[in-house]
Amino acid sequence: MRFLLRRFQRLVIVMAAVTFVTFILVNVLPGDVAYEMAGMDASEAEVAEIREEIGLNRPLPIRYLEWVGGVFTGDWGRSFINEEDVWHAITQRFPVSIELMLLAQVMALALAVPMGMISAYRPDSRADRIIAGVAFASVSMPSFMTGLLLIYFFSLTLGWLPATGYEPLSAGLWANLKPMILPALSLALVEWTVLMRTLRAEMIGVLQEDYISLARAKGMSNARILWGHALRPSSFTMLTILGLQVARLMGGTIIIEQIFGIPGVGRLLIHAVYTRDFIVIQGCVTFFALAFVLVNFAVDIAYAWLDPRVRQGGKAHG
Amino acid sequence: MGEIILDVVNQRTAFPTKRGMLQAVNGVNLTLERGRTLGVVGESGSGKSVLARSIMGLLPRAAQTGPGSSVHLNGRDLTALSERELRPIRGREVSTVFQDPMTALNPTLTVGAQLIEGLRHHLGMPKRAARARAIELLRSVGLPQPETRVDQFPHQLSGGMRQRVAIAIAISCEPDLLIADEPTTALDVTVQAEILDLLQRQVRERNMAMILITHDMGVVAVRCDDVAVMYAGRIVEQAPVRELFQRTRMPYTAALLSSIPRITDGPHRRLDAIGGRPPDLIHPPAGCAFAPRCKFASDPCQGVMPALEGDERHRFACHTPLQVEAVA
Amino acid sequence: MADIAAHTKSAASQSEAATQDANAAAIAAFEKRNRMGPFMWLPIIWLCIVIALALFAPLLGLLPADEMDFMALKAAPGAADGHLLGTDHLGRDLFSRVIYGGRVSLTVGFAAPAIGVGLGLILGMAAGYYRGWIDDVVGIAIDTWLAIPGLVILLLFAVVFGGSLFMVCLSLGLLFIPTAARITRAATMKYAGREFVLAARAMGASDRRILVKEILPNVIWPLIAFVLIDIPIAIVVEGALSFLGLSVKAPTPSWGGIIAEGREHLESSPHIALIPTAVMFLTVLSFNLVGDTIRRRMSDVREGAI
Repeated sequence: MRFLLRRFQRLVIVMAAVTFVTFILVNVLPGDVAYEMAGMDASEAEVAEIREEIGLNRPLPIRYLEWVGGVFTGDWGRSFINEEDVWHAITQRFPVSIELMLLAQVMALALAVPMGMISAYRPDSRADRIIAGVAFASVSMPSFMTGLLLIYFFSLTLGWLPATGYEPLSAGLWANLKPMILPALSLALVEWTVLMRTLRAEMIGVLQEDYISLARAKGMSNARILWGHALRPSSFTMLTILGLQVARLMGGTIIIEQIFGIPGVGRLLIHAVYTRDFIVIQGCVTFFALAFVLVNFAVDIAYAWLDPRVRQGGKAHG
Repeated sequence: MGEIILDVVNQRTAFPTKRGMLQAVNGVNLTLERGRTLGVVGESGSGKSVLARSIMGLLPRAAQTGPGSSVHLNGRDLTALSERELRPIRGREVSTVFQDPMTALNPTLTVGAQLIEGLRHHLGMPKRAARARAIELLRSVGLPQPETRVDQFPHQLSGGMRQRVAIAIAISCEPDLLIADEPTTALDVTVQAEILDLLQRQVRERNMAMILITHDMGVVAVRCDDVAVMYAGRIVEQAPVRELFQRTRMPYTAALLSSIPRITDGPHRRLDAIGGRPPDLIHPPAGCAFAPRCKFASDPCQGVMPALEGDERHRFACHTPLQVEAVA
Repeated sequence: MADIAAHTKSAASQSEAATQDANAAAIAAFEKRNRMGPFMWLPIIWLCIVIALALFAPLLGLLPADEMDFMALKAAPGAADGHLLGTDHLGRDLFSRVIYGGRVSLTVGFAAPAIGVGLGLILGMAAGYYRGWIDDVVGIAIDTWLAIPGLVILLLFAVVFGGSLFMVCLSLGLLFIPTAARITRAATMKYAGREFVLAARAMGASDRRILVKEILPNVIWPLIAFVLIDIPIAIVVEGALSFLGLSVKAPTPSWGGIIAEGREHLESSPHIALIPTAVMFLTVLSFNLVGDTIRRRMSDVREGAI
């Protein structure tokens, strides 16, 4: 309980720092949104007028506190460009990003678990080396490249899947999933390697445990030993990583949503960056940070909960 | 003479290491009859555990078994069998109890799941029958409240209870041979005797054969019929228990015997009471491996490896055996 | 009985010879694993080529990277004279664009980790040596930093500071601070309590002297391995940024930028995007392979030393 309280304290400090730094960054600098709103050939006077109008001239700390106050009441401000409510804009797009990330994680796991198992089963075997090589290549290929190649092969050359677009779930499951496959795969093809290596490393250790020897001594088949006996005790670290990866995935979705034209939070952020719509940038950064910090918080708790040995305060080996 | 269950011929097991091949077991011969218990004794690193794993075929992949080694179980050569062919034998004909019950049970599976698995696999029992049998087995190894324990995870049991579960798993499919690899070393002194009693009773009731691996001569004296003393991967003296204790020939055995813990000693006293270091198994000395630590060692001991010689009942490998008075 | 003994002895000497052979084989097997294979040499050769081309680009007599050849728009590799790798949608020579783009990627690839690890080293040593409030402040700063996805920070910086090469290097470098600082802090704390540091202090050495002379040489090694991992990451992230048009400004070519431009013409002229993609992939892969090998050898050496 004290552990949780301390984590929570830290969480609050971090969030305050994140929002404050972001606020200063997007506000102190030249080329602010007033120029953007006034248009290309506006005079300095016109820009100043717009500044006055949207309250850019008041002292920073006050504006920051006002904004923070708003955050707690659900008022994240309105876009300067299209007047859209920021909280609404984010929450509306968030499920799309979540779907993309979930799908990517599922695909990454589906690749990582069997591959990690094969590798761990016979370390340094030919199969292990081939998998390590593929993983190396895979991790050297950033998601925007993978995305591009996938579009080139599966959309343009083979014509199997759409290159861009998004369909809501209401249009049907397959209609919804179809345009999500390539973007999710682009993310998964980078993420799976870390999961695979973590699983491999831990499983190599687990496979040397006495209880695996005992399972062999009982005459169990290899498949049963790997899936039934070794996988669960080998996957604790991988699950932690899976949670931590959400952070990297968030970064990844920003680009992938852009490439595949998926209307998620990432695309909202990029668009805001292009138009210097600082209140939206501020909102998105805050949102990303909050989501990230909460995920890490959840991972910490989940880890303690998942491992019966940790739960019991007994010795955890690995 | 009873039915021979196990016949190990010239077993040699080696592991590649950075410095060279480590010869862990170096030409061991053993036979074991139904109903008898063989104690294998030695310091840590003497090769007794590797020998046990060699018999089970549970060596790490890197391990190399020497040519001419064979392990016959119920007349069949296990070394000639593939991993797949071994599966119906493991757990069914030969099973094992490991040293540390903390690590020998899977922490993520319930006790029941680990027991039932073997019953279903080897005996083809349906789920419900297997579960009933599992509870019955847990009761027979003296686990209190088997009906609730069967659904618990290993970490919810004490060390002694876990070892009882491990024994239940080992005997679940009525094997002919049970290999117990220091089954009480990791346990509290208070439960050690109980576990050994349990093993002894099960072996007798089910008419199995048992190899009991230990470093404790005291245990051997009470629990075993025959003894094989191992040193540096070889058997250096072998005899029925009484014979070995009364007419010890090999100085190493004598050293082991003199290190039997007495009531006055603290618990967990190991055999490090013998002076000097265990031999280097990668570059073993040309002569007797025990010579550097042996106070009786003479010139031939340094240069020539003594062979395991003697009569049917009592063999030993020593150039300078201890003299025994001719007792009736 | 003597028979058996003789037999055993000859078997023993035979087995001795066999043991020696097996010994040699086992040692050879362990050495083979550490030998450098083609997966070490090929990446090094590739990296040398790429770095040399980027370094000496102005001396190679290449076509200017922004010169448009309207006679050869979107020319495929080898299709138009003088354009080895073809041209892009504006008729600019892809070969020189990729080489000049490499200058940006490699500069960022080397500079950003150097900046980040350098700053992280200073922060980590300060936090680990002085502890107290410095440690707390650095800790919270790092936590804050890590609480935002890296790309989001970079986007923020790109908007705020614009797209000069220096700013790209700097803001990307900032991303590498947290891990470097954490590693350094842990190592510093470990060494700060060691005898040789206590001895130096007892002899009246100043904090600065202790940090530079006693602690720095010890904590810098794990960081060097860390730089090796960071180089390909920096190149990839810069690629992503310029793909989004948020790295160096437009006429200056960069790999990510060329790929982004080529993406518009992926259907008609895939080579515009695929060539820089392949070059960047091979470069990142090479850095990863070389870094991995060196890292493994370093850890071998250090394990051996301890």
